[in-house]
Amino acid sequence: MIQHFPILAIMVLFFGAFFNLLLGKKSRLIRMLIVLASTGTALGLMLALVKPIMIDGGIVAYWMGDWAPIADFAYGIGLEVDALSLFFGLIITTAVFVSGLYSFEYMSHDDSLVNFYTLYLMLAGGVLGLVLSGDLFNVFVMIEIMTFSAVALTAFRNDTFGSLEAAFKYLVVGSIGSSCVLIGTILLYAQLHTLNMAQIAALLPSNLTPVTIIAFAFLFIGFATKAFLFPFHPLAADAHAVAPSSISVLISGVLTKTGVYGIIRLVYFLYQNIGEQSVQYLLILVGSISMFVCVTMALAQHNFKRLLAFHSISQIGYVITAVGLATSLGVSAGLYHAMNHTLFKGLLFLCAGAVLHQTGSVDLDDLGGLARRMPKTTILFLIGAFSISGLPPFNGFVSKWMIYQAAYERAWMGGGSLIYIFVTVVALLTSVLTLASFIKVAQSVFFGQLPEKYKDVEEVPFSMRAPMWLLALLCILTGIFPDQVYQYLIGPATSAVFSVAGYVSAMFGSGYFEISISAEYLIGYWNPLCWLILLFVVLAAVTLVSLMGKKSRGKVREEASEKSDPKYEPFYGGEASEFSQVGGSDLFWGFKHNLKPYLTFMHNAHSGVVNDYALWGVVALALAILFAILWL
Amino acid sequence: MIIANYVAAFVLIALGFYTIVAKKNLIKIVIGMGIVDYGVNLLIVSIGFNPGGTAPIFSLSELTPESFFVDPIPQALTLTSIVIGACVTAMALSLVMKMKYSYGTLNTDKIRRLHG
Repeated sequence: MIQHFPILAIMVLFFGAFFNLLLGKKSRLIRMLIVLASTGTALGLMLALVKPIMIDGGIVAYWMGDWAPIADFAYGIGLEVDALSLFFGLIITTAVFVSGLYSFEYMSHDDSLVNFYTLYLMLAGGVLGLVLSGDLFNVFVMIEIMTFSAVALTAFRNDTFGSLEAAFKYLVVGSIGSSCVLIGTILLYAQLHTLNMAQIAALLPSNLTPVTIIAFAFLFIGFATKAFLFPFHPLAADAHAVAPSSISVLISGVLTKTGVYGIIRLVYFLYQNIGEQSVQYLLILVGSISMFVCVTMALAQHNFKRLLAFHSISQIGYVITAVGLATSLGVSAGLYHAMNHTLFKGLLFLCAGAVLHQTGSVDLDDLGGLARRMPKTTILFLIGAFSISGLPPFNGFVSKWMIYQAAYERAWMGGGSLIYIFVTVVALLTSVLTLASFIKVAQSVFFGQLPEKYKDVEEVPFSMRAPMWLLALLCILTGIFPDQVYQYLIGPATSAVFSVAGYVSAMFGSGYFEISISAEYLIGYWNPLCWLILLFVVLAAVTLVSLMGKKSRGKVREEASEKSDPKYEPFYGGEASEFSQVGGSDLFWGFKHNLKPYLTFMHNAHSGVVNDYALWGVVALALAILFAILWL
Repeated sequence: MIIANYVAAFVLIALGFYTIVAKKNLIKIVIGMGIVDYGVNLLIVSIGFNPGGTAPIFSLSELTPESFFVDPIPQALTLTSIVIGACVTAMALSLVMKMKYSYGTLNTDKIRRLHG
């Protein structure tokens, strides 16, 4: 019975899409019923798998059409759900369910909603199919289904500013990534004559030829595109900013996870060469760059949703860095943060959607003082902002703390080096900048002066607040009970990452693949006392720095700027913000002034021209191939 | 012969990437995506090809270790890939059409409202 659950969960979503197209035109109620029934059933089936997989440690293997392997060779398409797949499946179905609930009210002013929900259910089915699949070509097909639906949904409000061009850029650069996945799959097939992931995992270690090594580069770039890692982050920024908010939740919280899942499967299962220092450095480098570049880009944004989009990729950078540490603690931290990212980023996007729904604007310079009109949304936003900035007791704190600890510990472990200390510092710095930019958002959207035109704005209805509260509660619960979360979700998923043998033998029977996995490192936990000490140290440092700067305070640095962008010029007086030289959202204008050369460079680099982004992607592919040839 | 196929496939893929990166016209970019797809499809078919093999139509009992035939799986994969490629092209062209209506141009340098 239980082995049919994964395929049913995928099918129910695709059937939902089909029936929605067939019957959904009639009335809103039928659409709601279909969407709720299919996403709810998928979520229920995933939850039903928690007991046998997460707690009892089993793996569900399923051969479509009962095409079991003949003579130890896979012919049929297999679905294989281990704790890692189920972990991502749970994240995905939760986010999809919540986003569906939110859509009913949020999208109620749009037309052609039948198409919206059809695409939405196909997106959900594609993503779920991807993480539950055990067949590499099937993964490619699911990636394409998911990318198509996401592109169509990005352009869904095609009369809004820039939505078409965002969709087009996403389609062009995304299809470069998809082609890379396909080429990698085919190169692997040429060498191993199988598409089954478990069988590839078993055969590859003894078959590392130049072709399979180049296939690694292609697959890595393909999955990195799906995770929007650097240098693919501009796509995410464009697509998140213009998509309807309930879809931004899916693009940010769910689509990026498929890339993370793909990379974990690639480096820990298919290639198992994560033990090699160079692959760890690759992941850590890509992750750290994504984390830092995107957070600095976010500082310079004036669009609420675009800012959130950059933060989204920054957090994915954390996940990839943690996964690249290749220790048990690192992987747990990465998975924990991946889950938390879906929860808090979903919450923040829903808050942005609520603001957009009630005011019609997401421009940070334009908004202000909404806390007076929308107090409940403000509280929800603050929960999300505290979570993403890593303030205790919210969930971001737990996972970020685990990441810092993992990166720091890695430096003293065997094969460690000072690079990991540097990574820890980058991660901390990114966290500080994240907090800074959320203070900026809170100040310019929810606090400060309420513009005249928004004085009659009303709170969003309960039907929109309920899904937000659901995510907020999950944010708090996963922050307060990290031990339980670890025991039931993260721990099993982490041990699944390190048990390739179990993954293979569930498909092919035991004995097909024999490899002894070294004992896992002991998991470390965050200690509240350490945090208090850190708090005091930081407070002392801040006090010291602010005392040292006393002499120069009040003196405005004069600088003849050749580029006369008024945003960077000194601030003269207290005029109302529309006449001021500093925009309403420029809380950190001094900071930005000091970073002007860097920010100007980055601003010009993100030119918005699709050729440039494609060029970055192709260059990244070339570098990855070069890396694979030189160091693998 | 088969080497020529592999070379041609990767040349096509590279040409397609070049078209996407270098051409400023949206339609040409879509054509470039198509060329990448053709290159990939050629690669897939070439991988399954065995010179001198027969058509892969057997029942399990007829299969012997001596049977020599063309690998059928890549052909099935190619079909899927062609269908997906056609969908990509159709979707990209419909977006291009919409963009032509709203921006009045097909030049990528002018279609950059979202930047920075």
